[in-house]
Amino acid sequence: MALGRPKNPLWLHAALISFTLLTIYPVLWVLALAFSGQQSVGLVDLPKDPSFLERLRGIVPWPAHLSAKNFIDVMTEQPFGRWLLNSVIVSGLTTLLGVFLACTAAYAFSRFRFPGRDQGMLAFLVSQMFPGTLMLIPLFIIIVKWLGLGNNFIGLVIVYATTAIPFCVWMLKGYFDTIPIDIEESARIDGASPQVIFFRIILPLAKPAIAITALFSFMTAWNEFILASVFMESEANYTAPVGLRFFVGGFSSQWGFFAAGSVIVSLPVVILFMYLQKYLVSGLTAGSVK
Amino acid sequence: MDWLKRTASLGLGVALAVVLLLSGWLAGGVAGDLAAEQRQREAVLLANAVSASLVGADEAAKAQRLAKWKAEQPGLESARLVVGREMQASTIAADEAPRALKREEKPLFDLANDLRAAAETNVGEGTTRKRTLRVEGSGRDSAMTVSVPLMVEGKVEGIVQARVRASGESASPGAGWALALALVAAGLVVGAFLRIKAERHFDVPRGIAVVLLLVGAVVFQQQQLRRMAEATATSDAAVAKLQAAAAATYARSGAPALAALPAEAGSPWDTDGYGRPRGLVDVDGRPLAKANLAAASHASFLKKSFWAIGALGLALLLFFVQGWAARTAQALKDHRVAYAYVAPAMIGMLVLVFFPFFYGIALAFTDTTLFNENLPFRERFIGLTNFFNILGDFDIVKTTAEGTVVNYQNFYWTLMVTVIWTVTNVTVGVTFGFLLALALNTEGFKGKTIYRVLLILPWAIPNYITALVWRGMFHPQFGVINQALQMFGFEPVRWFDGVVSSFMTGLVTNGWLSFPFMMVVILGALQSIPRDMYEAADVEGATRWQQFRSITLPLLRPTLVPAVVISVVWTFNMFNIIFLVSGGEPGGANEILVTKAYKIAFEQYQYAYAAAYSTVIFVILLVYGYFQTRVTRATESY
Repeated sequence: MALGRPKNPLWLHAALISFTLLTIYPVLWVLALAFSGQQSVGLVDLPKDPSFLERLRGIVPWPAHLSAKNFIDVMTEQPFGRWLLNSVIVSGLTTLLGVFLACTAAYAFSRFRFPGRDQGMLAFLVSQMFPGTLMLIPLFIIIVKWLGLGNNFIGLVIVYATTAIPFCVWMLKGYFDTIPIDIEESARIDGASPQVIFFRIILPLAKPAIAITALFSFMTAWNEFILASVFMESEANYTAPVGLRFFVGGFSSQWGFFAAGSVIVSLPVVILFMYLQKYLVSGLTAGSVK
Repeated sequence: MDWLKRTASLGLGVALAVVLLLSGWLAGGVAGDLAAEQRQREAVLLANAVSASLVGADEAAKAQRLAKWKAEQPGLESARLVVGREMQASTIAADEAPRALKREEKPLFDLANDLRAAAETNVGEGTTRKRTLRVEGSGRDSAMTVSVPLMVEGKVEGIVQARVRASGESASPGAGWALALALVAAGLVVGAFLRIKAERHFDVPRGIAVVLLLVGAVVFQQQQLRRMAEATATSDAAVAKLQAAAAATYARSGAPALAALPAEAGSPWDTDGYGRPRGLVDVDGRPLAKANLAAASHASFLKKSFWAIGALGLALLLFFVQGWAARTAQALKDHRVAYAYVAPAMIGMLVLVFFPFFYGIALAFTDTTLFNENLPFRERFIGLTNFFNILGDFDIVKTTAEGTVVNYQNFYWTLMVTVIWTVTNVTVGVTFGFLLALALNTEGFKGKTIYRVLLILPWAIPNYITALVWRGMFHPQFGVINQALQMFGFEPVRWFDGVVSSFMTGLVTNGWLSFPFMMVVILGALQSIPRDMYEAADVEGATRWQQFRSITLPLLRPTLVPAVVISVVWTFNMFNIIFLVSGGEPGGANEILVTKAYKIAFEQYQYAYAAAYSTVIFVILLVYGYFQTRVTRATESY
C-alpha cells in the first residue's frame, strides 16, 4: 500500500477504536462478572419492561456492585483452589518430564549420526498429523482400562508430556544445531564424558530454548480440556479447565465463579503469551513453509 | 559367540519358538472358546427340555416335573418357573414356591416380559429377529443361568430359568508344549550345522533353514488342528449324550410324547440364541450328518491365522540368517550413547502416540462398544462394516407426509457442515486479519502498539474459556447479545434452537479468536516489504490499487498461503468451540466431524464406530495435506 499520504485519518481511528472495543468486550464482560459478586449471567437485574437506558446499563460491562466476593468464594467455598493446585501439579510435572525427554532426544538428533535417525525425526513429524479423536479412544483404553491410571495425575502427565515431545524436539534440535561443535570437541579432548558434556556444557548453553520449550509444555497441559475431562472422574481430581466447565456446563450456571476462575486461570497465560508471541509466530510460519 | 553369527542356529531357534508359541497360544484360546460353547449348548439344551416338559401340566404337575429333572440330571443345579407375577415352581427350597414375586425380583419379571415380547415378535413376523433366550454367565464360569420362554401353542406362558453346572466332560486339548519344545530344540541343534556365508545373498544352508522352519511349523500346526477336530467331535458327542439323557428324563416325567419331527430337523432343544435348532443331533441323541458350523468357523479362523504366523516366522528367520540381526546388534552397540539419549522419548512416543494410532485404526475394523470390549479381538472383528455404514449411508434427506426432514446424524451432513464451518471461519479470519493489518501498517499511524496489544488478546486467552464466555453472552434469556438486540427493538433470538443461528454462534466465537493470528502474520509480512518498492511505484505514477495488486499481494503470498493452510487444519479440528458453545445443537445439526466422533465414543460408547469415524477424518486430512503440499510448493516457486 502506498503509505503515508494521509497520516492518522480520523475515520481510520474511529473504525479501529470501535472494532477494538468490540474485540475486548467479552474480556471486559468476564472481568465485570468476576467483580460483580453475584452468580447470574446478566450483569444487572433488569426490571420487567426495561427502557432503552436500562437495557444499555445491562450491557455496559461494569458490575452493579463492585466486590471481590466471587474471587474469595471460588477459592474458599468451591474446590477451585484444589483444582488450580491440580493443574499446577499436572502442568509442572508435564513440564519437567517433557523437557527432559525432549532435551535428550533433540541432543541425540542434533549431535549423533546413527541408523534410524532420519526415520525417527520423520516419524516425530508425521505423528503431528494424527487426529486427536482417533487417539482419544485408544489412549482412554490404554491409560484407564489397561494401566489403571484413570483419575490419576500420572496418566495425564505422561500423555501431555509425550504429545508435546515432537514440537519440543524439533525446536530444541534447531537450537542445538547452532551451538558450535568445537566446544564439545575441546571438552572431549579434556576427558569429559558424554554425560558431562550434555549436562554441564550443552544444557546451560541452551537455556533460552529450554525456557521456551518448558513454557510450551506448561501451556499445553494448562489449557488442555478434553483428555482431562475424559480421564478425571472424581471432582476432587479435576484440573482447572474441567472445573471451570463444571461451573457453567450442563444445568449449573454459576457464572460468577466461572468468571472469577477464568480470570485467575487466564492471567498467567495471557502475560506469558504477550511476552512470547513473537517466537510463536516465527516458529509457526517458518515450520509450515519449509 | 562368533559361531552364532555364522550358523542358522539362533535364527531357526528364535523363529520356531515364536511361531510355535503364537500358534499354541492361539489354538489354546480357540479351544477355550469351543469348550465354553459346548457348555452353553448343554445348558440351553437342558433349559429347553425342562421348558418343553412343562407344557400342558397343572401347577402341581409342573412342580413334580421340575423335581424330577433336578433329581435325574446331575448338571441341573436348580430350575424355576415364573408365570406372570408369580413364581409357580422352583427346585430351590428357599424360594418357597408357589408365591408372588417380591419387589427385589423385579428383574425376573422384566426378563419374562422381554422374552415374551421377543418371542411374540418372532412369531408375529414369521422371522427370527429377536433373541428368545437369555444366558447369564459364560461357559468359562463354573455355572451359568439360562432363561427360556415356556411356549404353549405358540403363546408364551412364562419363563423357565435353569442354572446349569458345567459338566466335567468338556473337551480341552492340551497345548502340546512337549512337541513344541522338542521342535525348537531340534531347530537349535540342526541350525548349528548350517553354515551361513555372509558374502552370499542366499545359499543352500539358508534354504534348508527355511524349509526346516516351514516343516516344523506345519507339523505343530497340523497337530493343533487335529486336536481341534478331536475336541469338536468330543464336544458334539457330549451334547448328544446329554440329549439322549434329557429325552429319557422327558419320557419319564409324564409329559406327553414328543411330536414326531422330520429326522433331519434335529432336536428342538439344542438351539442357538434365537431358538432355532442347530440340527446336529436328533431327539434321541443320534448325531446327524450336518456339519458343526460354529466349530468350522473357528477352524477356518485358526487356519488363516496359522498362515500369518508362518509368514511372521519366515520374516524373523530371514532377519537372522541374512545378517540383519547381527548388523542391528552391532549398530546398537556402536551408537549406544545416541540410542540411550533417544530411547526415553522414543519409547514414550511408541507407547502413547504410535501404538494408540494403530490401535485406533485396528479398532475401526471391529464392533467394539462399552459392553463387549472384554471379548477377544477376533470375536469383535467385523472387517469394513463400520466404513460401509458411515460412507454408504446416503439417507440425508427424508421426505415424509409432514415435510422434508434432514437426518443430522448422517456423515455427509456433518461433513458438509464441517466444510462450510471451515471455509466461513477461515474467510472471516483472513478478511478481518487482512483489514486490520493494513490499517495498522499505515505509516506514522499513532497508537499502533496499543491497538496491537488489545487486538491480540483473543488469541492469548485459553480457547475453552473464550468458548464458555461466548456461550454466556449468547444466553437466550439473560445474555448481553439478546439484551443489545432488544435495546434496538429487535426480538430476542433463541440462539441454540435454530440450525443457522446456532451455527452463527460458533462462527462469531471462532472468528473472534482466530483473526488475531492472521493479523499478526500478515502484519509481519507487510512490514518486511521494502518501502522503496512503493516509492518507485509512486514515481512511475501507479495508483494505490495498482500498487496493492502488483506489489503487496504477490509479496504476501508466501506468508499468507501457509498461514491459511495451517488455519484450515486448526478450524477443521476446532473441537472446543463447537463442543462448548453450541454443543452441536439443535439435535446434532451443527456438529462437526471431530465433535461427532467424540460424542459417538463417549456419549454413545460406540468405540469402534467412533474409531472408524476418526479414521475417515484422518484420511480426509491426509488428502488435504497432500494437495496442500503441492499448492505450497507451487507458491514457493512462484
